[in-house]
Amino acid sequence: MTTETEKDKQMRRLAKFIEERDSYEAMAKAFGQSPSGTDKLYAPLTEAYVEQHNAVIRAVENGDPFVASYYGCQPEIYVAMDLPWYTFLTPVFTNAMSPTLPEEIDATESLFGKDFCTAFRVAGYWVEKDLAPLPTAIIAMLHPCDASLAAHQLMQTNEIWRHVPMFGCDPPYWNDERSLDYYANETRLMISFLEEHTGRKLDMDRLREVIEESNKMFKLWIEYNELRRAVPCPHGYGVGLQAFGVAMNILVGDPKGTQWFTDLVEDAEMLVREGTGKVENERVRIFWFDVVSLGLSLDLFPWLEQEYGAVVVMDMFGYTPYTLIDTTSEETMLKGLGKRALCDAPMMRQARGVADNWIGDIRQVVTDYKIDCVVWPGHMGHKDGSANIGMMREVCRELGVPFMNIGMDNFDERYTTTAEIKEMFSRFFDSMGLAKAG
Amino acid sequence: METKVKSKALQQFQEAAETLVNPELKKWMEQGGKVMALFCSCGPEEIITAAGMVPFRARGTGSTGTELADAYMASIICSFTRHSLNMGLRGDYDFIEGAVWLNTCDHCRRIYDNWKRKVDTPFVHIMSLPKKTEKPQVAWYRDELVILKEAVEKHLGITITDDKLREAIKTHNETRRLLKQLYELRKRDNPPITGADALAVVVASTAMPRERFNEMLKELLQDLKEVEGIKDYRARLMITGGILDDPNYIKVIEDQGGLVVTDMLCFGTRIFWNDVDEKIGDPLQALAQYYIADRYSCPRMFQDYPRRAALVRDMIRDFKVDAIIGERLLFCDIWTVEHYQLGKEFRPEGIPYMQLDREYILGGIGQMKTRVQAFLETLGR
Ligand code: SF4
Ligand code: SF4
Repeated sequence: MTTETEKDKQMRRLAKFIEERDSYEAMAKAFGQSPSGTDKLYAPLTEAYVEQHNAVIRAVENGDPFVASYYGCQPEIYVAMDLPWYTFLTPVFTNAMSPTLPEEIDATESLFGKDFCTAFRVAGYWVEKDLAPLPTAIIAMLHPCDASLAAHQLMQTNEIWRHVPMFGCDPPYWNDERSLDYYANETRLMISFLEEHTGRKLDMDRLREVIEESNKMFKLWIEYNELRRAVPCPHGYGVGLQAFGVAMNILVGDPKGTQWFTDLVEDAEMLVREGTGKVENERVRIFWFDVVSLGLSLDLFPWLEQEYGAVVVMDMFGYTPYTLIDTTSEETMLKGLGKRALCDAPMMRQARGVADNWIGDIRQVVTDYKIDCVVWPGHMGHKDGSANIGMMREVCRELGVPFMNIGMDNFDERYTTTAEIKEMFSRFFDSMGLAKAG
Repeated sequence: METKVKSKALQQFQEAAETLVNPELKKWMEQGGKVMALFCSCGPEEIITAAGMVPFRARGTGSTGTELADAYMASIICSFTRHSLNMGLRGDYDFIEGAVWLNTCDHCRRIYDNWKRKVDTPFVHIMSLPKKTEKPQVAWYRDELVILKEAVEKHLGITITDDKLREAIKTHNETRRLLKQLYELRKRDNPPITGADALAVVVASTAMPRERFNEMLKELLQDLKEVEGIKDYRARLMITGGILDDPNYIKVIEDQGGLVVTDMLCFGTRIFWNDVDEKIGDPLQALAQYYIADRYSCPRMFQDYPRRAALVRDMIRDFKVDAIIGERLLFCDIWTVEHYQLGKEFRPEGIPYMQLDREYILGGIGQMKTRVQAFLETLGR
């Protein structure tokens, strides 16, 4: 009998990650072959996903350091430290369309209550079953929800993961100067932690470069969102999520990301100039106030567009009220990064603090984007948001737009099926007199 | 299973656990006293006492439905949250002068947002509770205590002096020490008090003027001195979990023969197992140190699991625990993971661990009985 070496184990843990990389690769090829219209923007995005995966795979193969973390944990710092990183939540997001996901979701029931957020339930399951690449260090995300924190506690008792050094910045509940100072201090501790455990040093000049590049991206993102105010809206449901993916996940502070945004703005500008909308006859402008579920992208959103001329004009992840980061000093950079992580990054911004943040966004988006209806998908993990439905309904009433609460699982189609969601939309549109088919 | 003692104090405690406003609290209010509700046990009771009010740990006791709250919160919100908001909306909490929340969990922190808009309570406040237990967090929480103190002072037009705070710390520490004495008795082979009654005592400790409570608890401790302990049990159990405040829930377990001898609950050891350090000169620093670092945390505190597990391990040894029941309110993310972890840790050590999910208002008793019976059988009892 041969015993598995550490290296073998790491390679085994990479198996699903490699599968994922391969499916992105196939997608990148397909997009690359038939570039047309807005679709051509998918190709560089999927290529970047492949490259992000490859960087982690290479790190495993060469025994180099890499980090497991999230977009809400100041990834600009990992980039500046030249540390490859991957999102610990990868399993549900990137496997959203995988046929085996339902089985994995079911298997988690032997561990946790099935009311525990599916995203972290599956991620936790992968930890317990040793199915995820074991990083050199973990930067845990303690905001915005309980599930995220709980999933990281789990690592403390896992035979394998508990040996991986872990740090989390403590998120204050407020957005004021005192909170940002406190968080900047936590960030300094995080940097020391990363330096100690990865052997990499953070060079502040390099961090400045990364942030400046990222600022360029955010400027373009803001410009892009201005273009989405146009009637008809030039792009549909998936683009906001892509913009988020580029700026905050896969091309953080990377000139390739800036180029991607430049192309995006160009494309949108052209369409707005021509008066071309995502659909020919735009009749309903939707604010989808959560992440656009990948599972629904294949069916629900195209159906809404075709059947009702209903376009997702804005969504939680595409919405960027970003303040650019002041790069004058270490102090201003760390505070700026903290603000981005706590008060700007989607979902963190709305879900971490008091509900006023939440309500404020609805007001702003409905007004700025000429929204006809607000949809709260009500992912079963987003409890703090689902405890706001009364407030959301009231602010919508005040603004004169109808509000719909679905109640679904972003990752498990069986919770509320697409057919059921379609039915809800049909009834909703009918009763609100929003869009007659045809 | 019953506590075999005739004790007036115990009766009063039982009554306090069964009602929202108990006679002692009523008396206090009739004399012009004010009450301030706290929605999490990480909230600083001592500041409220020092302000001359009674800190009252919010509960949903007596709630019969969530129909009003359901317009504001979806059904995936834990039922404690929905019941207590419902009671606020119905006016059942009109007796309070104010309420303090912390960003406890995703459910409970939203009661504040809804309450602030929909319930007419003169003073509402929310504190930012850190999620870690280290020095910077103690310092942060001390500032939060200052903010709360100043807000209360402004609201009531009073000054909360350091001496008042020290006095309050002493009183609350005495409550903690007395509760610990009560628990010491439960270490015996034949504990003089059931788990259900012990829970009633702890619940009462969060719902009446503390000096009065301390006197009453001293009486009860006296009454329990000569009592014949409980012998007719099949197993000694520990309960772990969050906001369990209903003695009837424990009674169902004890009626099956499992005597609950200790716990790790919000209405249990976590709120009194250690004291606020009276030797620290600055009382606010002492409180911050206690609430963030010294007190046994709940699973919303990051990287503190080992300390909680150590507490459970000590309890198993000191209270001769045979098995553990982990209670959880449905939809609570933090406790489902904690129970999984505790189960994984203690089962291999020969301590069976059962997770019982429940709704806040006791129901489904038949099913619960069956599960508890089956659990006790697996223990061979
Ligand atoms: S479980 Fe924790 S957060 Fe929840 S009420 Fe108890 S102490 Fe507060
Ligand atoms: S039971 Fe869980 S979800 Fe409910 S209030 Fe307590 S900690 Fe929050």
